[in-house]
Amino acid sequence: MGIVEVSSVSKTYKLSLNSEPISLKNGISSFLKSSPKKDFNALKNVTFEIQKGDKLGIIGNNGAGKSTLLKILSRITNPSSGSINVRGRVASLLEVGTGFHPELTGRENIFLNGAILGMTKAEIKSQFDEIVEFAGGQIIQFLDTPVKRYSSGMYVRLGFAISAHLNPEILIVDEVLAVGDADFQKKSLGKMKEVAANDKTILFVSHNLTAISNLCNKTLHLENGSVKQFGETGTILQSYMSEVQSTNLEHSFKSFNQGPGNEMVRLKYARISPQLDPNIQYWTINNSFSIDFEFWNTLSDVELNISLHVYASTGECIFNIGSVPQICQMGLISHQTTIPANFLNDGNYYISVMIVKNGTTILYNFEELFTFEIADYRENTSWFGKWPGYVRPGFKISTRQLTDTI
Amino acid sequence: MDFLKIKEFFSNYELLFILAKRDITVRYKQTILGIFWAIIRPAATMFIFLFAFKNVANIKDLSGYPIQLVIFSGILFWNLFANSFQAVSNSILSNSNLVSKVYFPRLIIAFSSIAVALLDFLIGLIVYFLLLYFLDQSISSLLWTLPICILVTLFFSLGLGLIFASYSLKYRDLIQVIPLIVQYGFFITPIVYTASQLLSKSWFKLYIIINPLVGLVEFMRLALIDSYHSISILSLIISIIVSFIVFIVGIWIFEANEDSFVDYL
Repeated sequence: MGIVEVSSVSKTYKLSLNSEPISLKNGISSFLKSSPKKDFNALKNVTFEIQKGDKLGIIGNNGAGKSTLLKILSRITNPSSGSINVRGRVASLLEVGTGFHPELTGRENIFLNGAILGMTKAEIKSQFDEIVEFAGGQIIQFLDTPVKRYSSGMYVRLGFAISAHLNPEILIVDEVLAVGDADFQKKSLGKMKEVAANDKTILFVSHNLTAISNLCNKTLHLENGSVKQFGETGTILQSYMSEVQSTNLEHSFKSFNQGPGNEMVRLKYARISPQLDPNIQYWTINNSFSIDFEFWNTLSDVELNISLHVYASTGECIFNIGSVPQICQMGLISHQTTIPANFLNDGNYYISVMIVKNGTTILYNFEELFTFEIADYRENTSWFGKWPGYVRPGFKISTRQLTDTI
Repeated sequence: MDFLKIKEFFSNYELLFILAKRDITVRYKQTILGIFWAIIRPAATMFIFLFAFKNVANIKDLSGYPIQLVIFSGILFWNLFANSFQAVSNSILSNSNLVSKVYFPRLIIAFSSIAVALLDFLIGLIVYFLLLYFLDQSISSLLWTLPICILVTLFFSLGLGLIFASYSLKYRDLIQVIPLIVQYGFFITPIVYTASQLLSKSWFKLYIIINPLVGLVEFMRLALIDSYHSISILSLIISIIVSFIVFIVGIWIFEANEDSFVDYL
């Protein structure tokens, strides 16, 4: 018998088609005639079961139904059909600092928030000092200040500190880890790992796949409200990543007139391909990748080179490499390069390729030719936050113990 | 409402008190006069009616009792009803951040929201006793019934408030109805007059049943004004019974709708 059992759960919201606000008038008229309503299925026939001590990661795109599922599991809303069975004391953290009142002081809010999350007054009292310490020493001098005067960082830290001291059998967490500065994220993820180490059951929605692969033994992948896959984390993440990553990695055009470009140059073929690890079927920072680029050139006796720009998704150019200029004749010209493993950090990138004449004139710029995502990969780590920076070279740092006295 | 729900409600009593404490603490924060506002507002209403009655209408007493006592006890009663009724009606909406993020029996929110009204009433009561002293009046021999009267009044306010809280999420029009009840109810209930002034009317029986506040305010005056001659005991009992029925119906409706609240927030 599982500690959490979800069987054929669906949740349907009625979307009124006439888009008028719900009012007494509309209510009365809908008694008289059935106004057109569209059903929106936030969850469709979701079934899964986890055992005591399982840590379940829930992944899926925005709108896949993750939050609705958490709301049903935490009893905030009822399923439209199907049933859930949760055996044990549940604490759900759908946001940090639920019920914090801006006018109340930090101290008052600790008691308020703790009580809302299901702690008794005695439990809060006995853990008060630990909570304050966990939230950071800076909080102590502001304990009797209304939280509306807190910095947003302090507010979040205090909120998380309270939830970190809950002692439920089943913990439901929604993306709380995506808040706070890097330092605090480290602390909160560490706490999650500590909680995960004992036999608590955790249900955890996150976009941080590194955290899921390190914290969770099971993963549920939701897509458009249905269960796409459910099973061991390793297996699910592999198929999930290989699915979300494969976008825009190859362009191929049969004849000169079909390819993008202009009268002088046109694209025939472009491909970006990572050298995947046989055990991990998705693109991580550990993989080198090669770029192949072929174009038709209509000019003869011209000095050409290509210039390749790699951008972060934020639009900043991370680096630019160019080929050595070379005299080319009319026909098909190919370029190839390889970017080494452990060079780009995890994240979303795009690449543009320019064809340049005589080192100065841009013949054509193939903007955003490839967009791709590189996943993080870390083993045996206790730190799952976003690794900073656009590049992540594995330069070695040597360590030596110089003396054994101070 | 099954037994498990009742048990769950009572096991959350600490949360009930902490939410009540929150409302009270926040209530007069950042005001200079603070808790004195609980005195100023009923006193201001009383002075306006005293002015109107004494100087405009030239009325010196109401059914033989000092006009100040009749009006002030009426206003105290009305504020207790109106403030708690409004707070309960709006409680789910004004705590939507809690309702949509964490589960606990929603009745806790509704019940805790009457705290401010009750506190304001108790402070007003102190002023009432000062008034008695200055007017050289003696304390009613039925003062001991006051806690019962407060309880019944709160039951009625809760019941009516729970009905509004249950339906006003789906039908927001109801939110507009609440201030109307408070505003006009003040005049169709014997707040600034006494029920005995209406005794001779042919519709009096019906009036008592439709508006249980009539019996409740008279009950409060019995407890607060010495040798007050109220309407018949039977009328009082009818009002009390109607209040209880409204309370039970309110809880029943609230419980039936509780699970869908979050879908309308």
